[in-house]
Amino acid sequence: MFDPYNIFDWAFLVPLLPALAFVFVGLLGPRLKRLEYGGWLAVGFGGAAMALGVTLAAEEMLSPGTYTDQQYTWLSLPGNGSGAFPNGFSLVVGTLVDPISALMLIVVTVVGFLVLLYSIGYMHQDRGLPRYYAELSLFLAAMNGLVLSDNLLEFFLFWELVGVCSYFLIGFYYEKPSAASAAKEAFLVTRVGDILFLLGIFVYFSTYATRGAAGGWAANGFPFVQGNAPYLAGAMGGHSTTLTIAGLLILGGAAGKSAQFPLHVWLPDAMEGPTTVSALIHAATMVAAGVYLLAVASLFLGFTPTDQLAIVAIGGFTSFFAATMALVNPDIKRVIAYSTISQLGYMVLAVGAGFAMVGLYHLFTHAFFKALLFLAAGSVIHAVGTQDLFKMGGLGKPMRITGFAFLVGGLSLSGIFPFAGFWSKDDILSSVYGTLATHPLYWPFFLMALVTVFLTAYYIFRAFFLTFSGSAPRDPGLGHAHEGAWVMTGPLLVLSGLAIVAGLLPFAHGFGSLLPGAGIPPNYGSTDLLLSGASLGLAGLGIGLAYYLWGNGRVFALADSSPAQPVRRLLLRRYYMKDAYDAVGTRGVYGLARGADFVERYMIDGTVHGLERAFAGLSDRLRKIESGVVLDYAAFLVSGLLFLLLFLLVIGPWVASNGGL
Amino acid sequence: MSDPISTASFLGLSGALLGVGLFGILTRRNFILLLISIEIAINAAVLNFVYFAAFSSTAASGLNGQAAAVVLVGLAATEIAVGLAIVLALSRLRGSINVAEATSLRL
Amino acid sequence: MSPEGLAFLALGAVAVGTALAALLVRELVHTIIWIATFFVALAGIYFLLEASFLGILQLGVYAGAVTILLLFGIMVTRRRIFSREAATGLSLHSLAIALLVVVLLAAVASDLAGGSNHTTIHSYAVVDLSTTLFGPYGGWLLLLGLVMLSALSGAIYLVREGRE
Repeated sequence: MFDPYNIFDWAFLVPLLPALAFVFVGLLGPRLKRLEYGGWLAVGFGGAAMALGVTLAAEEMLSPGTYTDQQYTWLSLPGNGSGAFPNGFSLVVGTLVDPISALMLIVVTVVGFLVLLYSIGYMHQDRGLPRYYAELSLFLAAMNGLVLSDNLLEFFLFWELVGVCSYFLIGFYYEKPSAASAAKEAFLVTRVGDILFLLGIFVYFSTYATRGAAGGWAANGFPFVQGNAPYLAGAMGGHSTTLTIAGLLILGGAAGKSAQFPLHVWLPDAMEGPTTVSALIHAATMVAAGVYLLAVASLFLGFTPTDQLAIVAIGGFTSFFAATMALVNPDIKRVIAYSTISQLGYMVLAVGAGFAMVGLYHLFTHAFFKALLFLAAGSVIHAVGTQDLFKMGGLGKPMRITGFAFLVGGLSLSGIFPFAGFWSKDDILSSVYGTLATHPLYWPFFLMALVTVFLTAYYIFRAFFLTFSGSAPRDPGLGHAHEGAWVMTGPLLVLSGLAIVAGLLPFAHGFGSLLPGAGIPPNYGSTDLLLSGASLGLAGLGIGLAYYLWGNGRVFALADSSPAQPVRRLLLRRYYMKDAYDAVGTRGVYGLARGADFVERYMIDGTVHGLERAFAGLSDRLRKIESGVVLDYAAFLVSGLLFLLLFLLVIGPWVASNGGL
Repeated sequence: MSDPISTASFLGLSGALLGVGLFGILTRRNFILLLISIEIAINAAVLNFVYFAAFSSTAASGLNGQAAAVVLVGLAATEIAVGLAIVLALSRLRGSINVAEATSLRL
Repeated sequence: MSPEGLAFLALGAVAVGTALAALLVRELVHTIIWIATFFVALAGIYFLLEASFLGILQLGVYAGAVTILLLFGIMVTRRRIFSREAATGLSLHSLAIALLVVVLLAAVASDLAGGSNHTTIHSYAVVDLSTTLFGPYGGWLLLLGLVMLSALSGAIYLVREGRE
């Protein structure tokens, strides 16, 4: 029942407010006197959603561990005691406020609000502003709805909405062919994941129609109920193969959305959208959805050990794989994009190893410092009008706030004490390290993650030094750079503060209840200290190497004869995976389509058209017989008589003499 | 009477008349001549009925032949009436009763 | 040769000759005269074959009514009745086709009736003919009447005033 005095029952407003902003800005925006007004309207709605979202999270903190499910039956079919659904079938919608959704609400609404605000300054010249704000608002609404979903189907609906919004926004500059194709690529690649996710839902649907909680978990509308996972596993009675397959399919969906290997190719190309969109996608919305799905699945659906190994493998490998590609990239946004893939790998690794809360903890801190990095990069791009690191340089002096923000973000990403990234990354490493004794197969992926710490520190500080150190831009044509308006620097400063302190929040009173099990493990001993020291040392080494090679305006050029050149090319070409996909797409699928087209066009249509032409030609000839001249008809009459006589005289006797017909 | 009119000579007459009719149908351009040609051909056919009726051995079949000839004559007269109506209509419509000009049988 | 045979030959020759003449002369009014003669010659053959009712019918319907109708048709379709037709060339193709039909027909006919030999001309009373016509042929007569009625209506429809 809806209780107006219970704040949790008002949770539906969190997605609804941005959705209203979508409607208002989308419909009214172009008619307003100034296009920015629509933007401020969206900021207002986003601010209201943030206020409510943060309040909800605070309430959740005050009553730790509560699951407030406001559920409505959307559709209910009675059962007849037999068939696939003996107890009937129902679809439900609702909002579920639990610790993890409260945590996600903070991330989505706060980062979303700051991005909306920042966009006022960043996008102020753009004519498509109402469209931009409408789509951004819808994006936030979809993500808020996804976070608050209380069942798998609702989750999937919002999941798809998030996907389509990312398509809109990546392709925001749709006149640009590269942006249009990047949007298509993002949509199609994540679609592969979506299909896998949907197949996973089908598997659950067919498996739990009569099994699981309340005699048919799927028939009750796939609700997320506390303690559901052991229920589902128990209902299978040891037949865990189905559960493993379903878990792998869910992993496929998450890999598509969160850009995990091998479905990672779309994320770097998604940089074609406005930088603010990149910030939102990378921090709070799109890619977070995949990790959140894995966390939700591990809490409410459950993974088998096989699933967990697969998730750990994907996560650990992706973190390393993406970091290597970031090492050489000359584009400031793409470097940060690869770092997102890499950091998402960390989160997936943690969730796979059984520490969903730890993964979400990193998602939480990462959201702030990644949004910070992107908005700082956006500030730089806004000022100098290029994304090429090798054209920049010396921007630290004219853009002190941006430089400071990027530095904070970089330190946090590298995992330097006491920045936010340190706490969550350290938590992941030590948590996974704790499982190595019982799961030796996790070892290689743990080592990959450890090496990635070094790579991360190196590539992000390479970008930092290339952008901000030195005395002047390397490309003199860049013009005079200057800091943006307060709507741009304000969010940078707020996010800088959050990027510093967000990691400490689990230790704050009450806040830890949102992340039970995350933060410093209770048995923090000498091993963990050693691990922290090792990762800090690796990060410091990376920063030092970056400073040695790129600091103070230096530009390190790899000698042409260097044996590392092929490696560099390999990394620049992104391991040729995109080329391979393109080849498969153009050669394989397109060839197949060409073949089908040939069959369609020449064999099926050809037969049809050939018959048509034959009959048309025949009738065209026959038509001429119908001259309309009376005498011709008389001639036909006589010809008929002649034929009849001939038949009587020749053909008839011939047939008769050959034994009849 | 013995063999007053041989079958062969009679059939020759009938065939010759039919040939004349067909020849007229194929060559004449005047609608009235066309009608006349058709009449000649029909009369050649009627002649057959009358002839074989006269030489049929039973009264029933003989009378049948004559009755068929009567029906045929009626039909031929009807045909002439309709044909002449068409001639009138054609001459009004086109000012000519040349059959070769009547080409509007086709849509 | 018997007198009937001679009469038959003469009447047959007149019939074929007048038929040809009717089609070949260039004055349409002369055509009418020739075709009337043709009808009369055929009526003569009918009388020769002892089919007196049909002979009278032929005289009344063909030599009388049809001839008058044809004449009437000529009168209403041309301004000057005695104008000559444009010369129509003798089409050898058509002649050949007509001859071919005749030859084939003769072949078929001789095939069918080659062996038969008719000796006696039977004479039937007109009463018997009318009994047959209104007996077994009653349906046919009725049908013929309907055809004539509809043909009459059609003819009236075709020539009525104001139909352009």
